[in-house]
Amino acid sequence: MNKSEILLICTSPRRKGTSAMLLERVRAAIGGKMIFLPQSGSLNELVSEMQQAETIIISGPCYINTYPAKLIELLETASFTGGFSGQKIYGIINGGMPYIHTHKHGLTCLELFADKNNLSWQGGFILGVGAMLDGKPLEKHMSRRKVVPAFDQFVRYITSGKQSPDSLYIDVQSPPGKLMTYLFSKLLSSMVVKRIKKYGYDPEAPNWYLSNR
Amino acid sequence: MTLIISDNSKGNIGMILKESFCAMGIQVAHFAADTLNIKPCVSCNSCGGKTYGRCVIPDDMQQLYPRIVRCQALVLVSPIVFGGVSYHIKKVMDRMAAVGDPRYWIKDGEIVKGMSNKELRYYMVGFGDNISEAEQTAFLCLHKENQIIMNVSGKAFICDSLADKQAINIIAREIVDE
Repeated sequence: MNKSEILLICTSPRRKGTSAMLLERVRAAIGGKMIFLPQSGSLNELVSEMQQAETIIISGPCYINTYPAKLIELLETASFTGGFSGQKIYGIINGGMPYIHTHKHGLTCLELFADKNNLSWQGGFILGVGAMLDGKPLEKHMSRRKVVPAFDQFVRYITSGKQSPDSLYIDVQSPPGKLMTYLFSKLLSSMVVKRIKKYGYDPEAPNWYLSNR
Repeated sequence: MTLIISDNSKGNIGMILKESFCAMGIQVAHFAADTLNIKPCVSCNSCGGKTYGRCVIPDDMQQLYPRIVRCQALVLVSPIVFGGVSYHIKKVMDRMAAVGDPRYWIKDGEIVKGMSNKELRYYMVGFGDNISEAEQTAFLCLHKENQIIMNVSGKAFICDSLADKQAINIIAREIVDE
């Protein structure tokens, strides 16, 4: 595979977050050009790079159950421009919730985009509890013993140009049990509440827009 | 109040829906996201700390926030784009995090978040021409997942781009009756 024809697109506005970390992990194995989705201005140049690529790998965070708006703009622009010729496309999406279903729409959206625009959907990887990593290596993930080998297998599928099955990420991320669910929600809540209080706010208070506008 | 936020760039379903609500005597505010200046969320997390509950991006989203936190029903109207919503509507959805409840709760055995407006009913109306089964399923799933994570009630509807007044009236009626 010609390395210059591998395009890695990070759809996160954060340059050092988990989406970028995962994409770097792919690039370390396969090479290619990594691009951060421009947060303003035209996307035409990026679309033409997508057309010239042989393999496209998209990695992004999960915002309200799917990829951020900027990726949707890129897909809309790419679809409007057209001119794809069977490019292979893989997707990676990560979010805070420990459930596959929470983040699933991101990959579905990419697959539907690929089907409609003559690209070849090759599968993806959903990573739950990814937000907590905040860009730290995958080896720090809560379920590192299962998740690291699975993600590295995903990278091998990309390297060999093969389709990656959904079972790869599903099998290594079972939802937490009752006790873990309880502890997890308490831990996460205490973290956000601590931050809110640090800035002098009461988390129970009515929203700012209710009292000020 | 019922708040409609629509993307009218590919159809006028949002306008027809507004007329339907008005004809029923429902108080409605309508905004066209495609004509507003709304920037994408940059994940600065100011809304979860320094300016808790408030977004610091000074654009037209600031007109929508006071209504989102007050409305009884929020209706997002969007062309169906790859089984989801359009860029214009997705920008609004991403930015809604600022008026969400950042804490974590448990519902039906799973961790969820919530909205600062706990009474919110959340609707999505997707439209298009010859929308495939796969796209329809994906669109309904997206709404269902949104509902779970926001811990609100509501429903998603799908209609043709050229849906007539009668078809839209049925959707409006269902939203009002809930």
